[in-house]
Amino acid sequence: MLHVENLRKILPDGKVLLDGVSLRLERGEFVGVLGASGAGKSLTLRCILGLTKADGGSATLHSEACGGRTYDLLACKGREQRNCRRRMGVIFQGFNLVKRLRVIDNVMIGRLARIHPLRSWLYGFTDAEAVEALEALRRVKMDTYADRVTGSLSGGEMQRVAIARAIFQKPAIYLADEPIASLDPSNSLAIMKLLAPLARETPVIGVFHQPEMTARFCTRVVAIKKGRVVYDGDPRLSHDQLQEIYGDELMQVLRPPASEPSPAAHADVDDTDDVPLLAKLAA
Amino acid sequence: MPAAPSAPVPAPSARPPRLPRRLRRPLLTALILGALIVVSAHLCQVRLDDLPGNLAKGFEVLRFFFPPDWSSLRELAGPALVTLLLAALATPLGVILSLFFGLAGARNLAPNWLRTISRTLIGVERALPEIIVLLLLVAALGVGPFPGVIALAIGSVGMLGKLFADAIEEVDPKVLESVACVGATRWQVIRHAVLPEVMPAFLANAIFRFEVNIRASVLLGAVGAGGIGLELSKAMSLLEYERAMMAVLVTLLLVFGAERISDFLRAKVMDGGRLA
Repeated sequence: MLHVENLRKILPDGKVLLDGVSLRLERGEFVGVLGASGAGKSLTLRCILGLTKADGGSATLHSEACGGRTYDLLACKGREQRNCRRRMGVIFQGFNLVKRLRVIDNVMIGRLARIHPLRSWLYGFTDAEAVEALEALRRVKMDTYADRVTGSLSGGEMQRVAIARAIFQKPAIYLADEPIASLDPSNSLAIMKLLAPLARETPVIGVFHQPEMTARFCTRVVAIKKGRVVYDGDPRLSHDQLQEIYGDELMQVLRPPASEPSPAAHADVDDTDDVPLLAKLAA
Repeated sequence: MPAAPSAPVPAPSARPPRLPRRLRRPLLTALILGALIVVSAHLCQVRLDDLPGNLAKGFEVLRFFFPPDWSSLRELAGPALVTLLLAALATPLGVILSLFFGLAGARNLAPNWLRTISRTLIGVERALPEIIVLLLLVAALGVGPFPGVIALAIGSVGMLGKLFADAIEEVDPKVLESVACVGATRWQVIRHAVLPEVMPAFLANAIFRFEVNIRASVLLGAVGAGGIGLELSKAMSLLEYERAMMAVLVTLLLVFGAERISDFLRAKVMDGGRLA
C-alpha cells in the first residue's frame, strides 16, 4: 500500500533531517512510529502528505481501493496532489477542526475532494451524505453531538470527530500525527481503541510517544532516530531497545503525565498484556 | 598611579542636587505637552477672552432654532430616506468589495504580490477621508446620491477590508492545512474553513460600519450627495433655522434608530457564532 523509500530532507544550511527513511504499510497493519522529539517522525508524515517538500527518495501509494492506481506522492502537484491527499485520512495532534462549524459539518469536510467545488460552494452536501456522515460519527460514538458547535467540545471529543472525518473520507490509508499526544490517559486509550479496529479494514500509520500504547495496539513498530529508521518489527520493545531509540529522553517517555503515581509500574513495557493504571482509568 | 578603573563613574557627592529620577520623565512630558498646547492655540487663533461674549451671542442665535418647524417633517421624510438608503446601499457594496480585498490581503491565502497590492490600496483608501473621495467623485460623476454611494462603499473597504484581512490571517494555519489535507481546493478551504471562522466577527463589523455610514452619509449629503444633510445645509444658508432644527431632529432619529437596529443585528450575528 504505502511504500516510502529512502526519503530525504535536508535544510538549506546542510542539516540533515531525514537521512533515507524507508518504511512500508500493508493491508491490515497498524504501524506505530516511535522516536525521540526531532527525530523526523512527523516530518516523514508531512513529506508523505506533501505539506513539506522532500529532497529525495520516493513515496508511493497503491491500493485496489483507488482503482489499482499507483500514486507518486512526492512528485505530484495541484489536482494530482489533491487526488493523492484524498486517499489519505489524516488525524492530527491538535484535532484541527473548524471550531465554529457544527460537528457534522466538520465530518463532511472529509468528502470535499469528492464533490464538485461548485456544489460545495453553493449547495453543500446531500441528505444521503449527511446520513453517511452521521454513521461515521456513530462509529466513534459521537452521533449525539452532531448538531453541537465543534469549539464547545473537549479534546477527546474533538479527536473522535477528527477520526470520524477521516472515516467519512473513505481513504486508502490513515495517517495519524501524534493523535493522542495532547490527550489525557483515558482519552488516549479510547482513541487507540478506535484506531485499532479501524486498522483491520484500512491500514493506519501513526506517530506516537507512548511505547506502552504502541506495544499494546500496534501490529508493528518503526523507530526513527536522527532521520534514520533504526528499528522495524515487533511492537514489543525491550527496555534496552527503547534506551537505544530514545537515549536521554527515555525517562520522559516512560513517565506518564504529571500527577500519575508509580511510573515504575509500567516502565517495563515488555509487560504488554496490561497497562494497569490506564486500564483502570478507562474503566 | 595608572588610570583608576573607577574613573568613568563620578563620585555621587560631586553631583549637584537633582530631581528624583521618577519625577523627571513626567515633568518633561508635561513641559513638552504644555508648550505644544500654547503654540497650537496661538496658531489656531484661540482667544479665550472673546469666548464669553461669543458664547452669549451663540445662545442668542440658538433661540432662533426653536420651536422646530414641525410642518416641514413631511418634506424632510424623503431626504431622510435618501440618506438612509445611501448608507443601506453603500454598506453591502462595501462589504462585497471588502471580501475580495480581505481575501487578497491575507498572508495565508494570497501570494505576496497580491497581498501587497490589496493592502496598499486599502491603506491608501483609509488615509483618504470619505469627503475627499466624494469631492473627487462629484467632479467626475456630478452632484447626487450616486457618487455618495460609491464614496461610502469605498470608505467602507478601508475599514472592513483591513479588519477582514487581519481576521483571516489569525485563523489557525493548522486548521487550513488539515482541510487542505482531505484534498480540498484553495477555494473550498476558503468556503469551508476560513469563512465559517471569520464570518460572525466580520458581519458584526459590517453592521457597525452601517451605523458609521449613516452618520457619514448625513455629512456627505451636505457636500453634494443629497439627502437630509443637504436639506440641513440649505436651511442654514437660507436662515430657516426652525427648519434646520427639524432636520437635526430627523438626523438624530435616524442615527439612533440605526444604532438600535445595528445593536440588535450584531447581537443576533454573534449569538449565531455562539463562540463570540
